[in-house]
Amino acid sequence: MPTGSESSKLAAAEAYPSGTKKPPPEATSSINVRRAVVASFWAIVILFGLPAWWKTTNIYRASLPLREMHDWADGKICKPVFPLSISVEAPNLPASDVEHLIRTTQHYLDDMNEFAAHHLRLAQDSQPPGSASITQDENRETMILRLKPEDEAASPRAVLLQHEPTLEVYFSSAQMPSTTSTSSPLATFIAHELQKTFEAEQTMLSALFASQPALENMQRKAISQQSAELIARRNNRAFKYAPTYHLTFSLFTPTATPSSWEIEKALEEYISPLLATLSSISNFTVDTQVQLYATLARSIREPQFDVEKGAWILRNEDLSGFINAAEWPLSPSIGAGPTINFVVYVPEAGKQPLVVEGSGASSWLIPQWGSVLILNTDHSAQDGHESRSSMLSMPDLESAMATFSSHLLSLLGLPESPHSLPLRISTLTRIHAASLIFSASSTLGSLARLTDTLQSIAIPNSVLHSVTLTLKHLDSACNELRAGRFHKALEHSRTAEFEAEKAFFERSMVGQVYFPDEHKVAVYMPLLGPVAVPLLMASVKEVKAWIAT
Amino acid sequence: MLIALVFLLPLAITLCLASDYQERLHLRPLPNSALLASFNFRSNTSALSFDQQNFRYFPRSLGQILQHTSTKELHLRFSLGRWDSESWGARPWDGAREGGTGVELWAWVEADTADEAETRWLGLTNALSGLFCASLNFIDSTKTIRPIMTFEPEGIFPNSSLSNLHLLHGTLPHEVVCTENLTPFLKLLPCKGKAGISSLFDGHKLFDATWQTMAIDVRPICDEGGKNCVLQVEQTVDMVLDIARSLRSRRDPIPRPVPIEEVECDTSKLYSGEDSCFPIKSSSEPSWSLKDIFGKPINGSCPLETGPSSSIYPVCLTVPLERTVMVQTEKPFHESKEDNGLTRCYSMPEAAEFDLLLPAENLVTEVPLPSPQLHASRHITGYGSERGGMWSTIVNPSANLSVSIVYLESLPWFMRPYLHTLRVTAESNDQQDVRHDSDPLESTYYRPAVDRARGTHLELVLTIPPASTVTISYDFEKAVLRYTEYPPDANRGFDVAPAVIRVLPQSPRRSTSDEAQSRGIYLRTTSLLLQLPTPDFSMPYNVIILTSTVMALGFGGIFNLVVRRFVGADEAPPAGLAAIVALLQQRIKGRLAFLVSQLKGGTKQE
Repeated sequence: MPTGSESSKLAAAEAYPSGTKKPPPEATSSINVRRAVVASFWAIVILFGLPAWWKTTNIYRASLPLREMHDWADGKICKPVFPLSISVEAPNLPASDVEHLIRTTQHYLDDMNEFAAHHLRLAQDSQPPGSASITQDENRETMILRLKPEDEAASPRAVLLQHEPTLEVYFSSAQMPSTTSTSSPLATFIAHELQKTFEAEQTMLSALFASQPALENMQRKAISQQSAELIARRNNRAFKYAPTYHLTFSLFTPTATPSSWEIEKALEEYISPLLATLSSISNFTVDTQVQLYATLARSIREPQFDVEKGAWILRNEDLSGFINAAEWPLSPSIGAGPTINFVVYVPEAGKQPLVVEGSGASSWLIPQWGSVLILNTDHSAQDGHESRSSMLSMPDLESAMATFSSHLLSLLGLPESPHSLPLRISTLTRIHAASLIFSASSTLGSLARLTDTLQSIAIPNSVLHSVTLTLKHLDSACNELRAGRFHKALEHSRTAEFEAEKAFFERSMVGQVYFPDEHKVAVYMPLLGPVAVPLLMASVKEVKAWIAT
Repeated sequence: MLIALVFLLPLAITLCLASDYQERLHLRPLPNSALLASFNFRSNTSALSFDQQNFRYFPRSLGQILQHTSTKELHLRFSLGRWDSESWGARPWDGAREGGTGVELWAWVEADTADEAETRWLGLTNALSGLFCASLNFIDSTKTIRPIMTFEPEGIFPNSSLSNLHLLHGTLPHEVVCTENLTPFLKLLPCKGKAGISSLFDGHKLFDATWQTMAIDVRPICDEGGKNCVLQVEQTVDMVLDIARSLRSRRDPIPRPVPIEEVECDTSKLYSGEDSCFPIKSSSEPSWSLKDIFGKPINGSCPLETGPSSSIYPVCLTVPLERTVMVQTEKPFHESKEDNGLTRCYSMPEAAEFDLLLPAENLVTEVPLPSPQLHASRHITGYGSERGGMWSTIVNPSANLSVSIVYLESLPWFMRPYLHTLRVTAESNDQQDVRHDSDPLESTYYRPAVDRARGTHLELVLTIPPASTVTISYDFEKAVLRYTEYPPDANRGFDVAPAVIRVLPQSPRRSTSDEAQSRGIYLRTTSLLLQLPTPDFSMPYNVIILTSTVMALGFGGIFNLVVRRFVGADEAPPAGLAAIVALLQQRIKGRLAFLVSQLKGGTKQE
């Protein structure tokens, strides 16, 4: 067995040119010491340097419940269902008959319904008449079906009340099905009427479900191309759902008159009642302003006078540029929530009436922004006399406010049918709740995918917190939907959506690393290079020597 | 009769508190062919319609900011240039509508705690920054102070709310005021620069002024009972234009010397002749018109003032009695003379251009200039980049009246004053009169700076004896900033906000709602430029690289000492260049030997 000194001699022999003096063989102990030194340097680098580097450059990644987030995004956890309970009021009829009628009608309804998630449940009103609507849990019932026997009615007829969620059915007592019969024209009629009332809602929900790839295999109502387009147009027009909307009513005029308007009274009269009705889904703030000397944008062509119509004509293609965004102070209101603008434009005295080309209309709606109305104040005096009063009075504003009311409803995404406003609002509640659940789920999915793909971004604990909250509220929202408490469901899904957005747009996550790794290496090269080279060379030499032995 | 009056009086008060609007322009030629133009726009809104957010004359964008941040009274100033009080006399509005160079903002914010007020103040500065396209959002805690004595609310508040009001004051002396600040300012006006005196505003002319200040003041005014409140917003623009400069730039925008034929020469000089000229100041007043000065005439009146248009005089001009003033307009107007005929006011027709033309004239009399109560100036003394000194002088020109003032300094944190070096001395303006007055300093309020958190706040109450000069001086140290705290133009220096001087009223504070008294009398010094020690900005990389190299050298040496084996010099294998040379020698020798043997073999074959 060769000793260490011999092996080093062997290894070193080649480096010496022949004929020169060779050093004495090295002692084993000194070779061992040298190896220990090299090893200890490497030990420091590996045991201390690398952990320190790891520790200081590490980024914190909270562990998100990725599995669950993906499941929500794929629609595996919640399949929204809409059990609509309809309470039947029949004060003047025997309870057993009513119960039979309900059973028969329910049977027809179930037969007709092709959209499993959305189903109507009839239930007899157990409360004594009169106190009914007050004491009941209002969240639970969507609609009241009031049966009213009438003696002279030849065929049953149904009336949907405009300001109450109530369908009144008039029929003669003779049409009441007997307890033995299984079919009844009255039951069919009621079922058809109910189906008709909720048809629009079913179509909208089906369209919403159809837009969710996760829910593709779900059974739903088939929707025609035409109604799909209609719904898409309505959705494009409507604002994204927000808990608070700011309404701004502005009066613009290119001259100094009118410089004031009776807007307080007009709002009180026409807008406030509507906002009170809508308060169940969102809050509204209202502000008004008067802006004088507001000129039209230069990009649009000046209105031309049309002799035939006796009116100034605004071209259709100029409608989109009518709002002079550069000069008109229509900045959004401060505070959370979008601003809906309502603009009344009073043309100058000599240029009235101003109407839109073709249709001759004087108002139009700007999707997701607001509505514009040209108010022609003097239809009679077209000679342009300066006899205009500087004040716009209530009667002048009446038509404007009516237009703005209907525009507000469509800007909020309210469906056009059914006729009853409370029913339309409750429809909107369900649609918003469902779409918020979908949107929060898909945000969670995106966040989960982002976390998977970008391994280098930090995930702070606040994101984890928001995600946990989102999951909790999504779960509650889904349960509330199942139980038919749609307002609660909306509240939960609103919070879920808010938290999901907060998690996704967390600022510290978006921030990119300023210095790329190459940059850091370049700066520290003067240190790393001279340190690494001797270390490596020494170890290579020692390893070679060791192998040679 | 008396009873009727008693009944009518409250009615009159209510009427004047209703929503209304008025605008005024006051023109006043100053010595050296300068012209002072003071624009004032004022509108009132009832507190009720403000709370309900029904905005008519009050701008909605500003109103919502005030509501959102619970700001009850607001003063915002944008200023440029220096008011030369030595030759122009007293300041317009007694200095109450002007600010220090750059941007100055102070407001009374309603809040329960100081922290809440701070949060709302930050919200206010950020929102105003967006509204006025100015860097107001840079007014952070280091640039904010809470003055104790310098400012008092101009508005009249119900007594109950006074305890919750917090006054905050911030300055931005570095800000350059320009057209982008004028456009939002104009948008706040009901007539938007399209009609009325605001149609004279043109960014090119406005910011070409020698001195210019824009102000926005919002204040609540309540009647005696504190019930009937209105919110008043006042927008003011004051500027001093150089008439000669305005006229020149219209003809030929490039400044050129005046042709020799147009220069008036002093022929009494010895050397006066064909080829030499000693110019003398022109004795005649120059000819000018609104169109020359502002680039365009007034575009008719802004018809929002209540009352018959013949009784409203929006444009006033203060010139000597004999000066000819020609009015150019197509429609009828009215003229009214005030102030012994020195001030002429004009009513304007609606929707017709209106111009004033003053021909060149030789005048005998002059309009007396109101003399200022005080002159003030401030300098930085010393040299080097470690220490410096501040030197302020305040001159009281009055022969017999002593003046009490509050002197406010808001210094950046990187300028650290030594308060023990503070010296306040009073000296008579007359050199011969050697008096030793009592100490002019009455009280001091000092809140020291905290590095990177807040600036120095120094308030001094002084009494300046008649015909004397008070000098305030102190030393300060310049801090060294961190690498990232330097702005891109670090070598330009850092702006120090102007000092604010408030002249305390002789009598105790107003009991009536007298406007001039409620505004107070102010003057401001110019802003200063402070040179700080500025590093070489490539330094950190140099330091990193140098340190790394030193460390690597040390490491290499020690490592080699520990790892290498030491042998005798003759025993060591050749290393480095010697080894390579030896190797090469060996190779060449071998090659040569091979060639020689080849050659030999070849000859043998032959």
